[in-house]
Amino acid sequence: MITREEILDLAVLAKLFVSEEELDALTEEMSNIISFADTINNAGTEAEFDGINRLSNVFREDVPAPSYPQEEILRNAGGGEDGFFLVRRRG
Amino acid sequence: MGKIAQLHRLLETKKISCKELTEAYLRAIEADNKALNAYVRITPDTALQAACAVDKKIAAGEAICLLEGIPMTLKDNISTRGMETACCSRILQGYVPIYDAFVWQELKARNAVLLGKANMDEFAMGSTCENSCYGGAKNPRNLTHVSGGSSGGAASAVGGNLAVYGLGSDTGGSIRQPASFCGLVGLKPTYGAVSRFGLVAFASSLDQIGPITQDAEDAAIVFDAISGKDPQDSTSCGSEEPAVPGLSKSLSGLRVGIAEEYFEGIRGDVKASLEQAISVFREMGAELVPVGLPSIRYALPVYYILACAEASSNLGRYDGIRYGYQAAGYSSIHDMICRTRSEGFGAEVKRRILLGTYVLSSGYYDAYYKKAQKLRGAVIQDFTEAFSRCDMILAPTVPMTAFESGSAGQRDAVETYLTDICTVPVNIAGIPAVSVPCGLDGEGLPIGMQLIGNHFRERTILNAARQYEEATGRVWIRSAEMGVKL
Repeated sequence: MITREEILDLAVLAKLFVSEEELDALTEEMSNIISFADTINNAGTEAEFDGINRLSNVFREDVPAPSYPQEEILRNAGGGEDGFFLVRRRG
Repeated sequence: MGKIAQLHRLLETKKISCKELTEAYLRAIEADNKALNAYVRITPDTALQAACAVDKKIAAGEAICLLEGIPMTLKDNISTRGMETACCSRILQGYVPIYDAFVWQELKARNAVLLGKANMDEFAMGSTCENSCYGGAKNPRNLTHVSGGSSGGAASAVGGNLAVYGLGSDTGGSIRQPASFCGLVGLKPTYGAVSRFGLVAFASSLDQIGPITQDAEDAAIVFDAISGKDPQDSTSCGSEEPAVPGLSKSLSGLRVGIAEEYFEGIRGDVKASLEQAISVFREMGAELVPVGLPSIRYALPVYYILACAEASSNLGRYDGIRYGYQAAGYSSIHDMICRTRSEGFGAEVKRRILLGTYVLSSGYYDAYYKKAQKLRGAVIQDFTEAFSRCDMILAPTVPMTAFESGSAGQRDAVETYLTDICTVPVNIAGIPAVSVPCGLDGEGLPIGMQLIGNHFRERTILNAARQYEEATGRVWIRSAEMGVKL
């Protein structure tokens, strides 16, 4: 079970607003999903997860190379200002 | 012969020019995409440019490779430089990547003809494609039904003959399930076989890119082209062997594992089709071996815990500052980020972010995330043990066939998640699996079976798929009555 208050706390952590109208349905749905997730409590296991496919951490050679042009990166943020991302003051 | 090889021969022998072929697909998209909603963005200029390059090579007498000039599509979460990539989410509207995904670098270098970006559930979260901000894609075999998800647009396009092949991504079944619903072949490769560079992240330890095609040969051709070690993805290791050269091996003596856990709760007609497929394998000389996979009973909750945890972290990057949607009115930076995310994400994405935040939060971390990781280890152990006794496991892809469009409201979230019960174990274990059509239900909707291999054994499962297609006279490879006809 999860309460309305817990969902509101999670929303703050996740930087989401949850409206009053959304809250009731969300509480019910999340409670159902969490009860479903709780079925793993019945599983006993001594196994440990130590990665997939025997992959180990790989480091590449640290070779300097040109990066993406600043203007191109900023184009997705309306061009930015003086090479910086810009959040305009509002309200 | 598969569709790619057929078209390749037509191009090579100048029976058709690549420009004519591309225009035929663009006309078909113009005519049929309204009904299918497979494409969310159509890119005729890029397509025709690639086509002209191929025609020039052919005219100059240069050799072309198999995928050269073949019209295809990419799921909307695969980055394309200079071309909007929105993951079918409001929050990424207007986002234009400044780099190409590794898979697209590889295909572009082979002059692949990209017709457009394919529809999907928002951020690949869903099983019907109906969580797309553009509305869902339809099933070409029956337009009143969904194409499946999350790579529903790619399946709809390939099944409706609006693309020869498509690339999708599979985190918990998102390639195999729509392939099964639309009567197509869908391959989820071994984790690490295909680079994830440029794939917009959902759950990084589970995501893999793979092909959706009309038959196994085409899937092998595309897999060989997109697999490979890529320094841009530290989890990439490439494939151990190409799949295409192994496509004519007899199945005599192949040990096919059957795990009863996969057949629990499967609809009767799906089970009957699978049993028929199993008898085809027996007739081909395969040896059936019972295997036990007790831990996969917990695979679905384990999957939802891990996938949501990873998603809640991965989706933290959407703040409205650097790209994509930004809320119009706000009073502070915190208010701006919260408004942007609340207005930009759809209901399912928000729900999964909240769930992920829950299982990672202090007090719940050990009971959910840590326990799920341990069980992930148990699932891997089960598969390792099973593959010591067999070469491949045969299982259903989905316990049912395609849902009716708009029926999501009749199911709660858990019921919808149950659709993924047969597909998620493979992602948890990082192993490859291919869905292959093996029957039809009473309404004529396709049924799929899953051939699951050990790590890096794509060749084994694709060859088995191919031999099954040949043994059944390619009877389940049926084209919908729409799109481009060969």
